[in-house]
Amino acid sequence: MPVDAAPVVELSFTLNGEPVTVSVEPHRSLLWVLRERFDLTGTKEGCGVGECGACTVLLDGRAVNACLVLAPKAAGREVLTVEGLGGPDALHPLQRAFVDGHAVQCGYCTPGMLLSAAALLQDNPRPTRDEIRAALAGNLCRCTGYTQIVDAVYAASRARGWAP
Amino acid sequence: MSARRIVGGARPRRDAVDKVLGRTRFAADVRVPGLLHLAVARSDTAHARVRAVHTARALAVPGVVRVFTARHVPGVNRYGIIASTADQPMLAGDRVRFVGEAVALVAAETPEAAAEGARRVAVDYAPLPAITDPAEALEAGAAAIHDRGNLCFEQRIVRGDVDAGFARAAAVVERTYRTAVIEHAYLEPEAAVAWMEDGVLVVETSTQNPHYDRSDLGRLLGVAEERIRVVQRATGGGFGGKLDLSVQPYVALATWLTGRPSRLVYSREESFLATGKRHPFVMRYRSAADGSGRLLAVEADLLADTGAYASYALAVAMRAAVHAAGPYRVPAVRIRCRTVYTNRVFSGAMRGFGTPQAAFGHESQMDLLAGALGIDPLEIRRCNALGPGDVTVTGQTLGDSVGLVACLDRVGAVRDRWARRLREPDGVPRGLGVGAMYYGIGNTGVSNPSTARVALDPDGAFTLFTGAADIGQGSDNALLAICAETLGVDPDRIRLVRGDTARTANAGATSASRQTYISGGAVLRAAGRLRQRLVQEAAQALGVPAARLALEDGRIGPADGSGTSVSLAEVAARCGGGPVSETGGFDPDAAVLDRATGQGRPYGTYAFAAQVARVSVDPATAEVRVDGLAAAHDVGRAIHRPSVLGQISGGAAMGLGMALMETFGPGRDENLDTYLVPTTLDVPRVTPMIVEQAEPTGPFGAKGVGEPALIPTAPAILNALAAACGARIHNLPATLERVQKALRGEEA
Ligand code: FES
Ligand code: FES
Repeated sequence: MPVDAAPVVELSFTLNGEPVTVSVEPHRSLLWVLRERFDLTGTKEGCGVGECGACTVLLDGRAVNACLVLAPKAAGREVLTVEGLGGPDALHPLQRAFVDGHAVQCGYCTPGMLLSAAALLQDNPRPTRDEIRAALAGNLCRCTGYTQIVDAVYAASRARGWAP
Repeated sequence: MSARRIVGGARPRRDAVDKVLGRTRFAADVRVPGLLHLAVARSDTAHARVRAVHTARALAVPGVVRVFTARHVPGVNRYGIIASTADQPMLAGDRVRFVGEAVALVAAETPEAAAEGARRVAVDYAPLPAITDPAEALEAGAAAIHDRGNLCFEQRIVRGDVDAGFARAAAVVERTYRTAVIEHAYLEPEAAVAWMEDGVLVVETSTQNPHYDRSDLGRLLGVAEERIRVVQRATGGGFGGKLDLSVQPYVALATWLTGRPSRLVYSREESFLATGKRHPFVMRYRSAADGSGRLLAVEADLLADTGAYASYALAVAMRAAVHAAGPYRVPAVRIRCRTVYTNRVFSGAMRGFGTPQAAFGHESQMDLLAGALGIDPLEIRRCNALGPGDVTVTGQTLGDSVGLVACLDRVGAVRDRWARRLREPDGVPRGLGVGAMYYGIGNTGVSNPSTARVALDPDGAFTLFTGAADIGQGSDNALLAICAETLGVDPDRIRLVRGDTARTANAGATSASRQTYISGGAVLRAAGRLRQRLVQEAAQALGVPAARLALEDGRIGPADGSGTSVSLAEVAARCGGGPVSETGGFDPDAAVLDRATGQGRPYGTYAFAAQVARVSVDPATAEVRVDGLAAAHDVGRAIHRPSVLGQISGGAAMGLGMALMETFGPGRDENLDTYLVPTTLDVPRVTPMIVEQAEPTGPFGAKGVGEPALIPTAPAILNALAAACGARIHNLPATLERVQKALRGEEA
């Protein structure tokens, strides 16, 4: 029983292509809803204050920090998490490039990185390395030093047959 | 036949696919029904006697189930990764020693109730004087933070005639350097979940050392180790910060005493407040060289603030002292490193155990000596560089795997290329700087073995059992490659059981850059023994001498390809049908250092490295850009090249943070909004160069790279900055204010 039980609101949105409805207290973040109500734990919490990018998801195609988005803001919109980006038999080209390019170490930053990169490639299918760096500036990685991540995004954007 | 190309190859890592799909469950992602949620009430005072902890108001919060204090701890309320200095309570007893120390643990039905309960715990403190400066802590009459006094540990290294060295020097340089408190800032905050299973307490957690976790949890709970199972979950970075216990004692206590599952995940704020940091050092260096640049003597006095508890202070003091003179032939040294208690959050292990701090000192000194003598900075390093057969400051004679000169040469070539681009007529100060290091692989001066087991399963596939925690750096992948190469099979044919105290033997900590060398050595031996046994079994089956047989691609047959062969499944059946397994161990050849002189053989082998940095400084804002970083590392042998490159790039990024931005202010920095770590915009594309001077005692010649990657970076950047500004910065990080001073020609 929550100490400050708040009234709940009913919320409908599109989650990874499927329509969903959920009742939540309006102060909950989108990150909390994804993790605790939908068990989509691919979206990570690294700071809770919009500084690390581990919680990045796409909201109507734009990369946002899900920890800063109040859940009701998702109403009627499309949310894409890492679980919706690709599947085991059909990795998204970015996922493929991260695997093949050794851009994954601990993997905690990886989902957020992938979604920030996906948003970039939608707007700018052939970015330069500097444009990639700018697009990923809000996603911290403490393991890789970013070299292989930037290279992987670059490789994905140049992969044959890739259309965002 | 393809199996032979596994070591040194570049296959994708096994864990990568699940990680890009978001399927990997870290400890915070584990879902257990009926969870108790936990929150820790923490001290808001730096030093005080605890008169009483009042929990009634916390217990009154709806949803709060239990509130635990020190008196509920069933075993010995004291833990610490180095047993001889273990001094940290999981819940403060009669004393708190830093802001953020745990005082009470609240277990509740919801996270909100737990948090509210923790807020309502009231502590009656009798304040004591708080000490924040290590020098002050050592003064006569300073309040004793622990009964044994404020000096936590002291290591000396004494060798040769230091005074004679200084007497005949052509150049003597004496300076004092300071480094900052640094937070590991792994992306995954500490997390653990616990439950009871058939009378056994199961703890799944983010950790660098599941076996250590189990032994200290056993002591805290007063329970035999067999009753506890610790499983390492996918771990989102560690860098030394997940060697100490953090959340594990709390889930263990709550579940053990209530029988219910429990979970605790630190917020970033709590991770900053309550977990270990990198020791800040004050280092006085005096170095002497002759006219040709050869080092004659080094005197170094290092003082490190270890904060409220010992954690790894002993290891940091030893390692910083051993490495204080740098990777050079130095005939005479007088080195002392002291780690000292203060009333600050404790310092523990962080990537390099004091060596990165010392490297800032010794590498600044090398450039100053070079400047005083008019010698090129690379040249002075080359003429002093340790080589095969040379003797270190602890009197250890090095073997053949000493690739420092090769690293310096690789870096020198890059530097010369970059030097041509330095002089641009835009008035922007630019500079190049080099840094070098050596680093002992494994724990200092002690036995630190690893044990591994490899089994052939009835279906003809293998299983590798290792206790080595993969915290993202890729030890799973390296150990699988060593195993696969030895067994002549594709790594995909090997199952992995890792980091589970119920199923794997102790591999020791994932620290000290030791898992590839030491656990790799254990895997090599286990797999080698198994291979031998299987070949012998096949020899009987085939009637062919074992010496003529080879294990390749899952079959054993004549090495020359003639005649019949048997499959591994058939060999397994001949062996009785159950799994056939062999165990192997490796313990590096290290021996304890002499207490008074520090002489001895601290490590079995050393990694070597050199890096060069290219920086530019905005003349108006004093903002520093690192435009290039090239890093040459002698890793012995790269088991998996992309992982080595990843370590080098990641380490260099962390070194860049240490050089330019990272400084943790207790009370000031609570999250990543004010504590800045390097982003994509700060870190240049790192140019890694792998040097392979094979180590005969390492698996396929491998040594290690995890910590070496970071060590030369800050020295290289600070030396480049000194070249760009014309004045030297002696205090890390090189903040805007310090760079502005340096631009004005003032030492900072
Ligand atoms: S958790 Fe949202 S930005 Fe860090
Ligand atoms: S891979 Fe660990 S934080 Fe990026």
